[in-house]
Amino acid sequence: MRHFRTLLAHELRTALLAWSTWASAALFLALMGALHWFAVLDASQVPQEGTPLESTFQLFWAPLLCVLPLLTMRSFAEERRQGTLAALLTTPASPAAVVWAKFAAVWLTWMTFWLGFTAFPLLVAQRLAGGADARLGDPVTLWGGFAFIAVSGLLHVAFGILCSCLTRSSALAALLTFVGLLAFTAAGGALEKLPIESWEWLGWLREPAAHLRTFSHMADFTRGVLDARPLVLYASGMLLCLGLAVLAVEGQE
Amino acid sequence: MADVAPLPEAAVAAERLTKRYGSLTAVEDLSFTVAPGEVVGFLGPNGAGKSSTMRILAGTMAGTSGRASIWGVSVALDPAGAKRHMAYMPENNPLPEDLKVEEYLTLRARLKDVPADRVAARVAKVMDDCDLARRAARQLIGQLSKGFRQRVGIADALLAEPKVVILDEPTIGLDPHQIVGIRDLIRSLRGQMAVLISSHILHEVEQVCDKVVIINRGRLVAQGRTEDLRRQLIPTANFTVVTRADLAAVTAGVLAAEPAALVEALGATDGWHRYRVALPAASPARETLAGALVAAGLPLREIAEERIGLEDIFLAATRRAPADLRRP
Repeated sequence: MRHFRTLLAHELRTALLAWSTWASAALFLALMGALHWFAVLDASQVPQEGTPLESTFQLFWAPLLCVLPLLTMRSFAEERRQGTLAALLTTPASPAAVVWAKFAAVWLTWMTFWLGFTAFPLLVAQRLAGGADARLGDPVTLWGGFAFIAVSGLLHVAFGILCSCLTRSSALAALLTFVGLLAFTAAGGALEKLPIESWEWLGWLREPAAHLRTFSHMADFTRGVLDARPLVLYASGMLLCLGLAVLAVEGQE
Repeated sequence: MADVAPLPEAAVAAERLTKRYGSLTAVEDLSFTVAPGEVVGFLGPNGAGKSSTMRILAGTMAGTSGRASIWGVSVALDPAGAKRHMAYMPENNPLPEDLKVEEYLTLRARLKDVPADRVAARVAKVMDDCDLARRAARQLIGQLSKGFRQRVGIADALLAEPKVVILDEPTIGLDPHQIVGIRDLIRSLRGQMAVLISSHILHEVEQVCDKVVIINRGRLVAQGRTEDLRRQLIPTANFTVVTRADLAAVTAGVLAAEPAALVEALGATDGWHRYRVALPAASPARETLAGALVAAGLPLREIAEERIGLEDIFLAATRRAPADLRRP
């Protein structure tokens, strides 16, 4: 991992100069801006159970499925297509260093996007200061939600990186990431909907399903409840995905 | 006094390398060595297995069996260690389009463990050596011509002053001026680093390389110095004779000098006949043929020994039948 910092600096610089990063950022901010705008409008017209910020964070799956695949898809697939990955691996830099550097660069970019989003609730709270509900820019909700994005992003980004390792086609990598993230995000809720109680042979699924409740995790974080179990789930999932990605890159050598 | 590590016997060693893609055998039981400081040409027809062999040696592809080592370090067991001694420029020379030449070489220097305080100096040196400093240093790689891209690849290979450089078709796509430049550059590396170079321009290889390794259908068919291969693979000395005499008269005159000689008519122009006379390579008649033909009364206009170049050696080596290849 001696070359991690060199590779990370290179990846961040490449991301900064790539038009696709800026296009993704514009799409992300437009999407999140619109979602938050409608959440605030709804709250102003009909009494809501939660704050607009909580409602917006509950829609985290929209940018996750629409924008994150755009960030991860090119990381390995494009390099494999151009042959530059093979050239990179002729240097003493290890496949692990390459995988971790690309992962860290995309994760930091993803976090930067969400950091940009934090401007929206802060602006709303500032503009409506005085007559508005103080919870519009509640720091616990805002930074709790941000912490959830950061923690869950470990697994989400790692999964996207793994998908990009598996193909030379960026489009296929994006599609795989989309389907995988959709399945993972919906899995907990879908399993809960199944009549598991009435099927004894499916009883063993009850406990794993409880761990996969992504939306419950988000709700906990936005309420300021920090549970160790989601941390373990996302961190171990990240390690698994990145480990498989390293194996995939080594296999291409 | 600082200890000086002893030189390994072979800078590059391939021992019984085999590479199979499913049922297709690309490289089979291939063994050869490159000594430190030696420049070796790696030749073979298209699809002979040259690029596969080079990729195995460079550690970018695993062999099916056999051993490859660079500067005494096993490529399979210690790939990072082997890569520290070696630089590899692949055939299609993939480069990132969106980096400037100087930025790319700086990145590669850091990844190749060039000391931080020497990175700028090494980048400047290789850009100067490869004639990139004046026109291309600040250009995006994606905007460079094929020739300049090849130079960037070679500059990258020389960056960390490796002990072994493996170049797969470095002169492909270059114009004659650029080829001469690359040839001089490679020639200047002799004695400093071991160079394994594949090329289809045999004339260039002959001028630059100390020895050649020739493979066909994944198997070694010849290796050694050009002179040795010439004796080994082409056991005849060919002469071109131009005379007004007919085939019978020429044959009689030649056989008088060397009973094992062969004469072949090549054609005639304005009454002058052109013949090829093949003598055994060790025949003393090589020195007396002209005198013997004159003594036989043949009106002789021209006699010249045909130069046997690497191209002839290559063709002779790669034409050998599979049965011949199995002979020791």
